Amino acid sequence: MPNVGLRVFVTKELRDLKSSPQVWPGYLILPLLGVVLPVVFLALAPLDLARAADPDLVSLMRFAARDPWLARYPEAERLPRLVVRDFGAFFLLMPVMLSALAAALAIAAEKQQRTLEPILATPLSDQEFVLAKLAAVLVPAIAVTWIAAGGFVVAVAVVTAIRYRITMVPGAAFWVSLVALAPVGGAAAALLGMRVSIKARDVQGAVQTASLWVIPAGIALVATLGRVAVRHLLGSAIAVLVALLVAAWLYRGTLRRFQREEILTRLG
Amino acid sequence: MIEADGLTRRFGERVAVDDVSFRLEPGQLCALLGPNGAGKTTIIRMLLGLVGPSAGGATVAGIRIPGTPAGMASLRARVGLLTETPGLYDRLSALENLTLFGRLYRLSGSDLSGRIERELRRLDLWDRRDDPAGTFSKGMKQRLAIARAIFHDPDVVFLDEPTAGLDPEASRDVRQLIGTLKRAGRTIIVCSHNLAEAAALADVVAVMKQRLIAFGPVETLGGSGQGVRCRLVAVDPPERLGGVIAAAAPIGGLARVGNSFEFTVRDPVRALPAIVAAVVAAGVGVVEVRPLERSLEEIYLSLVGADHA
Repeated sequence: MPNVGLRVFVTKELRDLKSSPQVWPGYLILPLLGVVLPVVFLALAPLDLARAADPDLVSLMRFAARDPWLARYPEAERLPRLVVRDFGAFFLLMPVMLSALAAALAIAAEKQQRTLEPILATPLSDQEFVLAKLAAVLVPAIAVTWIAAGGFVVAVAVVTAIRYRITMVPGAAFWVSLVALAPVGGAAAALLGMRVSIKARDVQGAVQTASLWVIPAGIALVATLGRVAVRHLLGSAIAVLVALLVAAWLYRGTLRRFQREEILTRLG
Repeated sequence: MIEADGLTRRFGERVAVDDVSFRLEPGQLCALLGPNGAGKTTIIRMLLGLVGPSAGGATVAGIRIPGTPAGMASLRARVGLLTETPGLYDRLSALENLTLFGRLYRLSGSDLSGRIERELRRLDLWDRRDDPAGTFSKGMKQRLAIARAIFHDPDVVFLDEPTAGLDPEASRDVRQLIGTLKRAGRTIIVCSHNLAEAAALADVVAVMKQRLIAFGPVETLGGSGQGVRCRLVAVDPPERLGGVIAAAAPIGGLARVGNSFEFTVRDPVRALPAIVAAVVAAGVGVVEVRPLERSLEEIYLSLVGADHA
């Protein structure tokens, strides 16, 4: 069975990830921010927004008033609804940040630990290797994102029910984005990270390159698509399609760049 | 079986391996020797299908190099590799390390577990099978890496410094294991800087320095192009005996140490009787005359040094 190797390799990768000090703190901090930040904002924002003096809050209110979807709601509900809707985009960025960094380490760490050559000397195909690395960084990133998003939905529902007497939860576009766009966006970022890892000579170089351009590029891509995706169902469908095309293009490119010979030659 | 045919590898302007050809039969063990940077690792990577040749080719375990990606995957399934550093996953146990690689070699079930137990017991690691490889001593890691290189019963095995870091007892056990593999018909290439070990293990020795400087059994390497070093021990030899020896046959490098004369001859079968006859005719008794056996180290250094010059 050709995918037996893939499954075992993924299991090994997940275990490695658990003890990687460069990666796992992100798996704790980002979900925490995703749940705590909107809750704190909703809990502390003034209820009587018409009298709000904070200039940032006032400008946010003006923005909400211009949004056709928010404009349908009473003024007091606009700000919490804006937070509940737009903060959902954070959960599209989370897998990008988590998987890009983990993927940047994926091959570079093996080079540094000198475990790469024995693996490359097995019958494992290039495709299996890349897919295993991709799955290994994507599975935990998506799992953590979905758990945190679940926490976010429950937390904002509880806070808005208590404070505004209305239970506010994200709409269908958020759920479509979370289920489809988050994994595809994460995969695209992971593939970019993997390209960095293929070229990198050591872990530090890989982390630096990923932090300097892979994560910002991934964030820019998902933020552009995510803004549209979390607001409209059609927007989320288009965003998923665009992200899929980008991910497929990156996958083909990564496979092309995965040259055992070049990797080993760089290894020395 | 391994047959290399004009294997060449260039990295830009630099030639790492230059026109290397040799043939190894099943059950033959070749010690691949050469200074650092001589191209040993590159040639092994080429024979594994990991690095493509710039020119020439090879057949390893019946599979042609260069070949298709599927062909190279089949090749890698039939060879075993021990790299210079063990390259183990430190967070995985010995059992998990071998299970991972076993699955990558498409082994499963009782076949896989049986092979793992056999090798871990043979290499005295069975009692530590559940401990993370990172907690092992250097020697234990090396033994585990050897188990990983051979437990899928490859036809061809490449071992880079197999006894590095091992204590004498463990080194002996590894040498015995390599002997067992050889008797089982595996073709083995051992890279080593331990020339005594290479001489003890190898059927043939290959000396590399980008190109193949010498290839053959140890006993044939000493005479290649250099002549054979011989020693004659005489009874109370007079000062003039050196001249007598030199006049009797074409010799080189004549040196006297006490009653002994050492010299190099190209054809000892013809030259030594002529020299003995001349010495006896000069009225000097001969205690012994014989070709000197050169150690692999002497042969290696003369070959590498001569190539350098």
